[in-house]
Amino acid sequence: MFGSLFTGFGYWDFGSWLLFFILAGAMTTWLRSQGRQDYKKGTEQDQIYFSGNELPDSEEITVPASSSYWGFRKALKPYYDKLVAFHSGQTVTYVGWFLVTTALLMVLIIL
Amino acid sequence: MSWSVHLPALMLAVPLFGAFSTPIVALGGRRARMIWSVLISSVLLVLSFCLLQYVATEGTAVYVMGGKAWNLTLPSGMAYPVRIILEVDSFNSFIAVIGCFASLAGVLFGLRFLDRFSGKIWYSALYFLLTAGMLGLILTGDLFNFFVFLEIASVSSFGLIAYWRDRPESIEASFKYMLVSQIAAMMVLLAIGFLYGRYNLLNMAAVGKVIQFGLAEKVALVFMITALAMKCGAFPMHMWMPDAYAEAPASVTVLLVVVSQASLVGLCRIVFSVFGSAIVGDVVPWALITLGMMSMFFGVSMAVVQHEVKRLMGYHSVSQVGYMLMAFGVGLLAMGDPRQMADFGMTSMKGGIFHMVNYVTYKGLLFLVAGALYYVTGTRDLDKMGGLAKRMPFTTFMFVIAAAAISGIPPFNGFVSKLLIYESSFAVHPALSVVALVTSILTLASFVKVFQTAFLGPEKKEFSKVKEVPASMVLGMAVLTVVILGLSLFPTWVVSHLVEPAATALVDKGAYIGAVLGGGI
Repeated sequence: MFGSLFTGFGYWDFGSWLLFFILAGAMTTWLRSQGRQDYKKGTEQDQIYFSGNELPDSEEITVPASSSYWGFRKALKPYYDKLVAFHSGQTVTYVGWFLVTTALLMVLIIL
Repeated sequence: MSWSVHLPALMLAVPLFGAFSTPIVALGGRRARMIWSVLISSVLLVLSFCLLQYVATEGTAVYVMGGKAWNLTLPSGMAYPVRIILEVDSFNSFIAVIGCFASLAGVLFGLRFLDRFSGKIWYSALYFLLTAGMLGLILTGDLFNFFVFLEIASVSSFGLIAYWRDRPESIEASFKYMLVSQIAAMMVLLAIGFLYGRYNLLNMAAVGKVIQFGLAEKVALVFMITALAMKCGAFPMHMWMPDAYAEAPASVTVLLVVVSQASLVGLCRIVFSVFGSAIVGDVVPWALITLGMMSMFFGVSMAVVQHEVKRLMGYHSVSQVGYMLMAFGVGLLAMGDPRQMADFGMTSMKGGIFHMVNYVTYKGLLFLVAGALYYVTGTRDLDKMGGLAKRMPFTTFMFVIAAAAISGIPPFNGFVSKLLIYESSFAVHPALSVVALVTSILTLASFVKVFQTAFLGPEKKEFSKVKEVPASMVLGMAVLTVVILGLSLFPTWVVSHLVEPAATALVDKGAYIGAVLGGGI
């Protein structure tokens, strides 16, 4: 039940992964325990450091979903412009691409 | 005769009975309707397990509707297949079990999720009708019967997608799905007409026995592939999917996910069990691989930039279906060569089937989580959410499991099926694995975004009084979470006892035909 699953090229073994996870977890916990222990809860150590500036309202320091991966989207702007335009939301596009795909496959398979 | 021989028919009779009896039971009040819905879907789940067990011990189950024998023996001695049959083997019985789990999860989740809305009696009736259509698509062994169940599933889907009929977006999504679905239905009907005109047969096994790869058959195959690939959301025919999945209530979306997989089961039946080795050349497998690769990459590309949680998940459905299409394409490519089949073909088939099952569980759960977020916040816009992890610990926990599974993070089930697909597709061409890996990375990126924006960060003032969703909704999500954990903890057992027999049953066309026809027609 917990044995190795052979894929033909390699294998997946949940037991080995679990063992590795436990060992890595134990090592990480031990390393962490070796660190400084002068943290005091409820003091200024709890305050967020915001480059020396006054901390804005907590809701203003969140990154909204539409801004996530801004750089990724900016770098791929030409690709995304085309891809988003492709998803026009018009029913003609929905049916059109369905029929184009059918026609293309028909030609390829019949020929 | 044991009652268990009637299991295939009961799998359809129970949800149909549920659909037509719910409006009557609902006269007894809200509680009666709720108990009845849970009872019907629980009985269905038990029956699906019994059917799986029956097939594992007795072999392929063939159920003849309305008669004792599948054939009519003519005076000339010719045994002619005239009856509608259900044919259940290791492949479709496994998918049916997972479908019933998803159906139960949707029922439990919907009990409180839709409490604030009217029309729940008709919702329940349509829900069970959709379940019956889904199971019919999975279990049938008859081409025309397949078309009938496709229509039952489609019509009930239209109603359920437009459940929030005061929202123009819901009506629009339902209309768009109806438009493309009806064109697909006509294509399926034409394809069946081509095959019937050529062979005078509608029984899948009988058609599979005599089929050639002539012009009429090629036209039929193209119509079937495109229509069913559209129904399961393959690029570039996928555009209805984010609309419909986003607008339907979450408890319905989980069932729509299963219905899309039922269409994929139909596609596999046509390609492997009806046509199979009759397919000449590599065009058909490469068509499936190409559709799969495009679906994976373009689907996930669109998902990364979405900020509406259910649309984001809808685009992920497109990309996940791509993995399966690619896996089945690779399996079909290897089918003509026993050595290739042994080297990577079977691994790919196993990966495809395991991914189908995994997809239903984690994607179903993700849609339920999206529904839970909508239930407490009243919005689907991630930009407006934040800091919900503290308020919704159970939902957060289950979201993390589902997100890790869909992203292919070990040790979750998504990782195992993706590993099988990566390694087998690499044997065909490394580019296939690269596209699959990049898709997986982008999947992780977009679910990190959902986690960060909805669950982490400072709490929003307007959600300071938010509480965890009601127990029945948590229970609905928990059903799928338990299945994900089971598939993740015991992948070796699942693959050797469920996935491998399913893959063998799918690629062994001779066994499929032999189980029904025995001595032939």
